[in-house]
Amino acid sequence: MEPAEAEFLAEKELVTIVPNFSLDRIHLIGGDLGPFNPGLPVEVPVWLAINLKQRQKCRLIPPEWMDVAKLEEIRDQERKEDTFTPMPSPYYMELTKLLLNYASDNIPKADEIRTLVKDTWDTRIAKLRLSADSFVKQQEAHAKLDNLTLMEINTIGTFLTQALDHMYKLRSNLQPSESARSQDF
Amino acid sequence: SFLQGSKLEIPLWLAKGLHDSKRRIISTELPKIYREAWRTVFSADANVVDLHKMGPYYYSFGSQLLNFDNPENPEIAQTILQTFISRFRRIMDSSQNAYNEDTSALVARLDELERALFRAGQKGLNDFQCWEKGQASQITASSLVQNYGKRKFTDMDG
Repeated sequence: MEPAEAEFLAEKELVTIVPNFSLDRIHLIGGDLGPFNPGLPVEVPVWLAINLKQRQKCRLIPPEWMDVAKLEEIRDQERKEDTFTPMPSPYYMELTKLLLNYASDNIPKADEIRTLVKDTWDTRIAKLRLSADSFVKQQEAHAKLDNLTLMEINTIGTFLTQALDHMYKLRSNLQPSESARSQDF
Repeated sequence: SFLQGSKLEIPLWLAKGLHDSKRRIISTELPKIYREAWRTVFSADANVVDLHKMGPYYYSFGSQLLNFDNPENPEIAQTILQTFISRFRRIMDSSQNAYNEDTSALVARLDELERALFRAGQKGLNDFQCWEKGQASQITASSLVQNYGKRKFTDMDG
């Protein structure tokens, strides 16, 4: 999967906006949205929120977790624990990028938030590499890692699955078959 | 034609074809790098070995060698596996740019299988970084058409 595809999925997440226009409820295949009344907060999917924001038809309200104190808490916990912290959103990376790119004027301390999220990401990715190395060294057959997000899995996924594939083939060399069939790569 | 007992170098695919455990037309000699002396070096520290110079197909060639009934096969198979396992970490970390350092020295020592793995790791990272910068949504010219302008007009005349 490409990062852009993960972003596409993330855009279905709901976010609160405050529109400056009126519109009756709209009926889309995925469900109904609205109605929209000036000054009244309403929840919409991120793809619509970004579109409206770009057209200057709304302002965005950052999600409750997109706050310096909350993110510092998460970053600190991530650094302290060996396991992965449950993230406030399965799409935290994508949402941070989207909202900070298109609506940074609606988000207090946007730069600090960007840095905190990146720091948390770096810690998690480093933990993922550590887990991958343990997994390979112990030649485990199964592993379970809770609380990983799609973007993280995506970034290391191809490398890891290819490596495990090779390792599997090398391990099967240890059990020779009677007909001495060759291992083709 | 050649005499019985003579020694020659032939490609692996041919040796595999001629090999027959019952009729024993040929016997194969183990290449240096799979023999005991080198196996000891690998178990001490597999990371320092230049597998490109020694291979460059250390893993796949080694796996194919196991076709010939050599009593050392179990040790060879074990060494190849352990070598992969010990080198894994460094390949992963450099391809994911963990230390932000020049990786060309490391890559020069990787065998072909490891280089493919390294490229996969790099691609995962590059794709992510590209996306993060917002380049994933930019339209760029396809590499297929980038050379069109370079054709000379004289080539187009009859």
